[in-house]
Amino acid sequence: MRWGKLPRALSSELLPVDFSLNLHRFRPYLLILLLSGTALLASAAGFGQEKPADAVDQQKSANQLWVPQLNKTEQCTTCHQEAAKSGLEQSSVSQPPGPDPLFPHHKKDWGCTVCHRGQSAALEKGEAHQPKAATEQPLLPIKYIQASCGTCHRADLPETPNLNHGRQLLSEYGCVACHQLEGIERPTMLGSDLTNIGAKVSPTWIYKWLKEPRTIIDSSGNVVVNGYETHSRMPQFQLDEKELRSLCAFLSSLRTAPVEPYKFDPQLVATLENSPDVVDQGEERFRQMFCTTCHPLAVTRAGETKLIGGEIGPELTKVGSKVNADWLVAWLRNPQAYLSKSKMPRYEWSDRDLYVVTRYIRTKLADPDVLSDVPSIAVPSPEEIRLGRRVFLKKGCGSCHAVEGMKLQEDFGPNLSHIGSEYVSHLQFGKSGIPRNLTAYIRAKISEPASVNPSAEMPQFSLESTDLDALTTALLGMTGPPSSSEIARLVLPRPRAEFHPSGAFEPVYERYKCYVCHQFNGYGGTLAPDLSYEGSRAQRQWMIDFLKNPQTLRPTLILRMPQFNMTDQEASILADYMTASLQSPSVPPASVDVTQFTSQMAVQGKALYEAKYQCQSCHTIGTTGGYVGPDLSNVGNWMTPAWIAGWLKDPQAQVPGSIEPRRSMTEEEVNALTAYLMSLRQSGPASHASAAAGDAP
Amino acid sequence: MKTRFAIFALTLCLVAVPSAYRQRASAQDDASRHAYDVEPDWNDQQHLIPLNYQQAKGKRLFYQYCVWCHADSTPAGPSNRSNLNPVPVLMNDGATLNGQSDESLQKIVALGGSAVGKSAMMPPFGRTLTPGEILALIAYTRAIAQPPFHPSEVPISAHSGR
Repeated sequence: MRWGKLPRALSSELLPVDFSLNLHRFRPYLLILLLSGTALLASAAGFGQEKPADAVDQQKSANQLWVPQLNKTEQCTTCHQEAAKSGLEQSSVSQPPGPDPLFPHHKKDWGCTVCHRGQSAALEKGEAHQPKAATEQPLLPIKYIQASCGTCHRADLPETPNLNHGRQLLSEYGCVACHQLEGIERPTMLGSDLTNIGAKVSPTWIYKWLKEPRTIIDSSGNVVVNGYETHSRMPQFQLDEKELRSLCAFLSSLRTAPVEPYKFDPQLVATLENSPDVVDQGEERFRQMFCTTCHPLAVTRAGETKLIGGEIGPELTKVGSKVNADWLVAWLRNPQAYLSKSKMPRYEWSDRDLYVVTRYIRTKLADPDVLSDVPSIAVPSPEEIRLGRRVFLKKGCGSCHAVEGMKLQEDFGPNLSHIGSEYVSHLQFGKSGIPRNLTAYIRAKISEPASVNPSAEMPQFSLESTDLDALTTALLGMTGPPSSSEIARLVLPRPRAEFHPSGAFEPVYERYKCYVCHQFNGYGGTLAPDLSYEGSRAQRQWMIDFLKNPQTLRPTLILRMPQFNMTDQEASILADYMTASLQSPSVPPASVDVTQFTSQMAVQGKALYEAKYQCQSCHTIGTTGGYVGPDLSNVGNWMTPAWIAGWLKDPQAQVPGSIEPRRSMTEEEVNALTAYLMSLRQSGPASHASAAAGDAP
Repeated sequence: MKTRFAIFALTLCLVAVPSAYRQRASAQDDASRHAYDVEPDWNDQQHLIPLNYQQAKGKRLFYQYCVWCHADSTPAGPSNRSNLNPVPVLMNDGATLNGQSDESLQKIVALGGSAVGKSAMMPPFGRTLTPGEILALIAYTRAIAQPPFHPSEVPISAHSGR
């Protein structure tokens, strides 16, 4: 008998498998009927899913692993004998008792439960994996295993994309607004400031939004339009009709400062007003200003609706039916006058652009039917407004939305800093049918709060399954302060990135919100290239030309830098600061002497580029080449020779994580290639030879 | 006798069909539940391939360094693959890659195409990626290979015995 040596606890679980094996022995049919009936029942009851452990020669005595670093002992290897071996030969996901994968933390230093959780003192499978005691942690499903990394690694690791994404969502979706979540960054603005919301949108729009906060929604209330469904960051609250109406009354009463209509040049208005192509002109300018770099927009092309654009600003598909016309003009002219913490840059507008773009938004990014199903809303009574204010506070709206004169509702929800190590007995499952474990609880709570507690104040978020996985992982990783001093010593804190610009640079940087997309010394967005060392990389004159008229530098990139219509002076201020202050310590400007470059070197460099290193597989020059790296047609006007030479020697020293492979070039080859690349210049009205760059003869 | 046989066959069907169904359903559940990460089969998006820690690391590196030329679509839009001559191998091309030993794949990644008599358009990554990272990439390739990779296809002497 194959399973004879197994401990009793294991063999009893394997019985159904054993029985089905008996089918092969052709016994009298009556017996087969009986046995297969049992097997059928057993498989229906779920036992059939149990896979047999590998037939290893189990010893009856416990096998113990001592982990001095964590001051604990573990018995996991009693059954998981393969895990005691190292190497990768037999590891695969379907074989948990296999050896460790090539993994940075070896078992002898860390044990098993530091990552897998579970009960290492138990000697029975059920006790070890799925303990019944309310104070004991069960095994963490591998799907969420990155949560364990988060226990010590408070900074993001490249190996834990799920955890990192989840932590980002905790901040992005405003979980930090209601819940304390240690180490999760609180965004500067969670929801928009509602102090003057009554001047921005109509009461009917507020009603519709509160009922179903989706940006695209058709007149019959469908959230799926042309097969496309939007997900807003604002969650849906459980509001009855009375609460809905009173909240709507309260919010539309918030009109602290009426919006003054902007006085366009009457002559300009007279020319444009009835011009047949004013909307088309507006659309063209809208595109040229790259509004979709930050704002999503649903577009229908060839009968198929899809969302294009970034995720930084709100979706604009039907914004023309949302905001008041005068407010829109005032907003575009100066967003910070309405929302001081807005990330929207303050573009430099001409009257003409402003007129045509707002006309386009109100005509094309609009849907006349969007509010047609909203019941008529009467002028609210003072009593209704007072009730609305109470609803606002009861629902915790003030956790995300500031209103002048009202205190921000911090810590509205429970503290979740240690939810990942919470005992099951502390969780409120109510009458729900959710499995009684932490993972299932968290997952249910964030996917449908009402399924756990029908009267919970927590609103319903609209999240995709991958986001739910990531959030569950991040929450399981919120294990609070380290459980023992041994672990406390090992915790790697989350670094705080800060960047304090100064001088004339600061107001320009703040006006155009450079940090929303670009990083500066680890601070800022990740949408666009890191500019921490831009002064070492780019020539000053090129920066000015680029800021005035941004061009795509990589042939396949869709997102592009907006044209802010900045003045020459502003562009020079930015370029001067970057040239002087954003310098890489590993790229000394004087490391390359361009006066030594000869035309012969450039010819030699061209040969290296085309034959030996075949750079054209990834880079384009003129009209031929690859799409992976930047277009090098104008690199001689763009980059500094010191940057190019340093880059050719070791790209990752200049940009960590760059995908350009590091080659082993000789000094002579580096110089030849630099000479060749510096000779690549496109002459155009906007490009000037920079004095600093020198000229390759 | 015939009747008895019919009863037997019927019983077998009754047992086999639901249990086979259960196994398939649970295999899909298992794929995401017991895997560090998953990758949809490139030829069949509904089929999820479970990845272990090392393969998941390879996947991450693949989408950072290799996807631009070794896949037909990339996270940033059009692939550079069609731009190149000779056309690079797709990373899941089991018909081409399954017969190659780990060592030979390691060599081409680390030393580049020109070192193994292939196109110099494949640059060397040996000074950019660590040996462990290159092994992770190979493990990922093996995991997503279509037709699937079986270690026995590679001659034993050529297969790495880490």
